[in-house]
Amino acid sequence: MTDIVVPADLWDTEDEGVLFLWVYPDGSIVEKGKLIAELTVEKAQLELTAPASGRLKIRVAPETIIRKGQVLGTIEPV
Amino acid sequence: MAQPVADTGRSLTMARAGREAVIAEMRKNPNIFVIGEDVAKLGGVFGTTVGMADEFGAGRVIDTPISETGFIGIATGAAMAGMRPIVEIAFVDFIGVCFNQIFNFAAKTHYMSGGQFKVPLTMMIGYGGGYNDAAQHSQCLIATLAHVPGIRIATPADSYDAKGLMHTCLRDDNLTIWMVHKRIWGLGWLGTALKTAIATVPEEEYAIPFGQARIWREGKDVTLVGYGITVHHALQAADKLAAEGISAEVLDLRTIVPMDRDAIFKSVSKTGRLVVADEDYLNCGVTAEVLAVITERDPRVLKAPAVRVAFPDVPIPFSRPMEDFCLPDPDKLVAAAKKTLGKS
Repeated sequence: MTDIVVPADLWDTEDEGVLFLWVYPDGSIVEKGKLIAELTVEKAQLELTAPASGRLKIRVAPETIIRKGQVLGTIEPV
Repeated sequence: MAQPVADTGRSLTMARAGREAVIAEMRKNPNIFVIGEDVAKLGGVFGTTVGMADEFGAGRVIDTPISETGFIGIATGAAMAGMRPIVEIAFVDFIGVCFNQIFNFAAKTHYMSGGQFKVPLTMMIGYGGGYNDAAQHSQCLIATLAHVPGIRIATPADSYDAKGLMHTCLRDDNLTIWMVHKRIWGLGWLGTALKTAIATVPEEEYAIPFGQARIWREGKDVTLVGYGITVHHALQAADKLAAEGISAEVLDLRTIVPMDRDAIFKSVSKTGRLVVADEDYLNCGVTAEVLAVITERDPRVLKAPAVRVAFPDVPIPFSRPMEDFCLPDPDKLVAAAKKTLGKS
């Protein structure tokens, strides 16, 4: 199982962000490196890619405030 | 957990869906290039060209100074010479300075040259308000552009249509304008995502023909016509009306030019009542054109006078309560629909 973590270097400041959108529904099979979520930080729209291939388990809902290092979900081996 | 869509597909924002179409066409056709303010280094004010400069290089993704007249003129000339330029104008409000290039050259050269020169130019433009950006950054101006022959205007309401209509724009040999309302573009800073605007988008290419309206929801008592963001207002209004036992049909124009007049007449012939929603100004607007379809073909299909819900003929206020007072919204559409049914 691989955690989906907001990377510490995704943006430069210590500002909070918002989880804007999950690209795939909970339980979908996703591919490592593909876009799985969009985040909004200040006016920037940032991309989160799958850290592994497998089944997406979503833990944080869209429109939730998020921080660097936070776990947003997991990817389980299929 | 609540998800933007129910099926297992890939949900994309309109910005990303439009971008996917542009990238696909640019990979196939070396004559396509993008030019505009902040398109290369920034990736577009609305993120429509993110990453393109890295893939296609500075020769095909070109940042310009604030000089709309100049770069639209450049793009028009390039199109006449065989290129297929894409011009981004982030805010339609600033299109006024380029009207001469658009109206008199890009839109007319094919006709005036007797077909010797085509102008396969596509403009990507953001429009609309609802996020407190005041009178010079919140306009729609779609009727203004639609008035001039030689311009095709696509106004997608969700990401599926954003991609399909962008493919059609880029394959067309005429001046085409792909216009997205800023509140549904898919950017967090412009407000909460409207879930109905974020559709599942196939990875493969597909082109949606111009002039084919889309029925989002079938109904029998009243037809709600909109495009862009007002489709989403109409869908919410239809939910509210359904709770009161009123069945509303939601018709999305999808392209303003050409307009699917047959679909409008067919729907209103069925329901007998018509409400047209538009965030553009009321006077001489798209709403009037929709009403003209019924008036010219057969006004007897109407069981009650049609109602227009558009932006009143005033500059768009900066103040949130004043702007909200003016903007079309689901409740205003509900009230308009009830008016056609003689209810209040």
